[in-house]
Amino acid sequence: MKRRTFAAVLGAAPLLALNPLRAFSADDKPAVIRISFPNAGTGGRPLGGGSFPHNAHHLRAIDEEFKADGIRVEWKFFPGAGPALNESFANGLTDFAFGHGDLPLIVGRSTGLKHKVLMSSGRGGDNYFVVPSSSSAKSLPELKGKRIATFKGTAGQLTLYRFLEKFGLSEKDFRIISLDNDSTLAALSTGDIDGTVRAPFDVEARGVARRIHEILDDPYISRPGTVWVGEEFEKKYPHIVQRVVTRLVKVAQWSAQETNREKQYQLWATSGTPYVDYKKGWERTKDLRDRMNPLLDEYYTASIQKSIEETRKYKLIRRDVSIDGWIEPKYLNNALKELKLEDYWPQQDAAGKVKVPARKLA
Amino acid sequence: MSVVSTDPLIFRQSTVEVPWPAVRWLWPVAGHLSRVGAALLLPAALLALWQLAVAQRWLPEQILPAPALVWQSLVELWQSGELQSHLQISATRVGWGLLAGTASGLLLGFGMGLSRTVHAYVFPSFDVASQFPVLGWIPILIIFAGIDEALKIAAISIAVVVPVAVNAQKGIANIPRAWFEVARVYGFTRLQIVRRVVLPAAAPSLFNGVRQAVMQAWLTLVFVELLASSEGIGYLMVWGRQLAQLDLVVVGMLVIGVVGVALDVALRSLESRLQRWRISAF
Repeated sequence: MKRRTFAAVLGAAPLLALNPLRAFSADDKPAVIRISFPNAGTGGRPLGGGSFPHNAHHLRAIDEEFKADGIRVEWKFFPGAGPALNESFANGLTDFAFGHGDLPLIVGRSTGLKHKVLMSSGRGGDNYFVVPSSSSAKSLPELKGKRIATFKGTAGQLTLYRFLEKFGLSEKDFRIISLDNDSTLAALSTGDIDGTVRAPFDVEARGVARRIHEILDDPYISRPGTVWVGEEFEKKYPHIVQRVVTRLVKVAQWSAQETNREKQYQLWATSGTPYVDYKKGWERTKDLRDRMNPLLDEYYTASIQKSIEETRKYKLIRRDVSIDGWIEPKYLNNALKELKLEDYWPQQDAAGKVKVPARKLA
Repeated sequence: MSVVSTDPLIFRQSTVEVPWPAVRWLWPVAGHLSRVGAALLLPAALLALWQLAVAQRWLPEQILPAPALVWQSLVELWQSGELQSHLQISATRVGWGLLAGTASGLLLGFGMGLSRTVHAYVFPSFDVASQFPVLGWIPILIIFAGIDEALKIAAISIAVVVPVAVNAQKGIANIPRAWFEVARVYGFTRLQIVRRVVLPAAAPSLFNGVRQAVMQAWLTLVFVELLASSEGIGYLMVWGRQLAQLDLVVVGMLVIGVVGVALDVALRSLESRLQRWRISAF
């Protein structure tokens, strides 16, 4: 009896060992594609806004693309933002990131996470420094030594540092505490923090806070976000990666069309971020293509390079990061060619000036 | 009490045949060493497992840092003085929280234990309030105390009050009635009863409460420092996690563990010093 059981186990072992492998390579496609966003809606709801990859989720574009193949798409949202996305990827639970801020992206690579940059998730926009409405401060230098909130470890931290730098100040001049976006809003209303960088429109309308500084359309302060795929996934399923990228470029084009502007604000506002913050935050952008831009142009590369230097300067990484071999533009280029969109978006130079203007629209 | 005791006192008095009387002193030393050895066995095994897990890559390096890296970070943080300054800030918060919490806990516990009236009025409410975990207090505390030091100290105090008060009250309730009767026969005043009967008799329970309180205080500290801080051991751990430097998280855990053990040992020795009368009484 015992011997027979042993023989059975022995016989079954290779089968068990082979089975998962076979399931993987059976017809060269994954059972599920796991796509992560470095944010979540108010109160952690699985919704977001403000970028064309978010539209891909709202419009169910990727789900549709793979429906016929029986591939399921799993969408993940992280209230813990970019750092939480890194943890998820390190644990092997994420295949694609549909937007990742510069700091967590670079931190991830510095710890040995292996991904390939596929396209930019968007760029541009304005930055505002807001203080509680009870505050008497009129400028940043008056807030020296006071408490300023940012979500440490996210792109917002570097944005704040650049903002301070612009006024000749450094992070050492303040007490910088880490709060997530929901808590920052709450702390702003109770006056528990003395300032933060965020959208001012809704909080001003409600009388909670007011802006004391605005930096508009500065490509140095705002940096592009990144769409990437895990290296392993990319090696195993390059054709799937191509389909995701192509579909995403289509969504980017949809998002850049003026006729879809209002529709997007409404989709994004389901995340809990107020409609007015989106409407006012985007109304200065006359041509949506300036920000709904997936290109990996000189501006993208130079920006990431600058961000790497900043993470070094502020000692936020311990192992150095190189941009070499990180960016994989072939999928984007294929998609642009296939969709005849090579000249659809403006190309910017390293400083963010338009180098090749966008195609004239009829 | 236990059958197999390694207490050196027992060895000294025992009539066990020692083959070489000259090395008799070795026995207690060996006993001590074996106890220390036994205590270190599990940590050593865990360390080995940790090292093995890292070497075999059972977990990604971003999630489980190597022991050597943790040690290196610990040394670096110590040498730069950063660890000490974080620890000092955390210790100050725990200190104030403990002070406020223990004081009000003792007041409550003694009140409920000594006076039936106080017990009747206060105990039911206290019993309900003590059921909430500290986490449940945080949202409402933030509204009243903000997110600064006041929140941290208030949360720690709340965590401390409950074990101190419960143990004080139970310690007093468990004093045999007969002892009070004896005190009355001797014509003790109220103050004398408290000083010479209640305090000595309830001391073990009181110390038990304080020791639980210290543990609770550290637990709560880490939680509140995770919330909104720019310094402290809990903050160091959050920061480490945000930057994917998990070795900092482990350093924080080690420091909290070591400080906790040190405090516990200190309280134990203080307790046994104050309890000498018990040993001489029997």
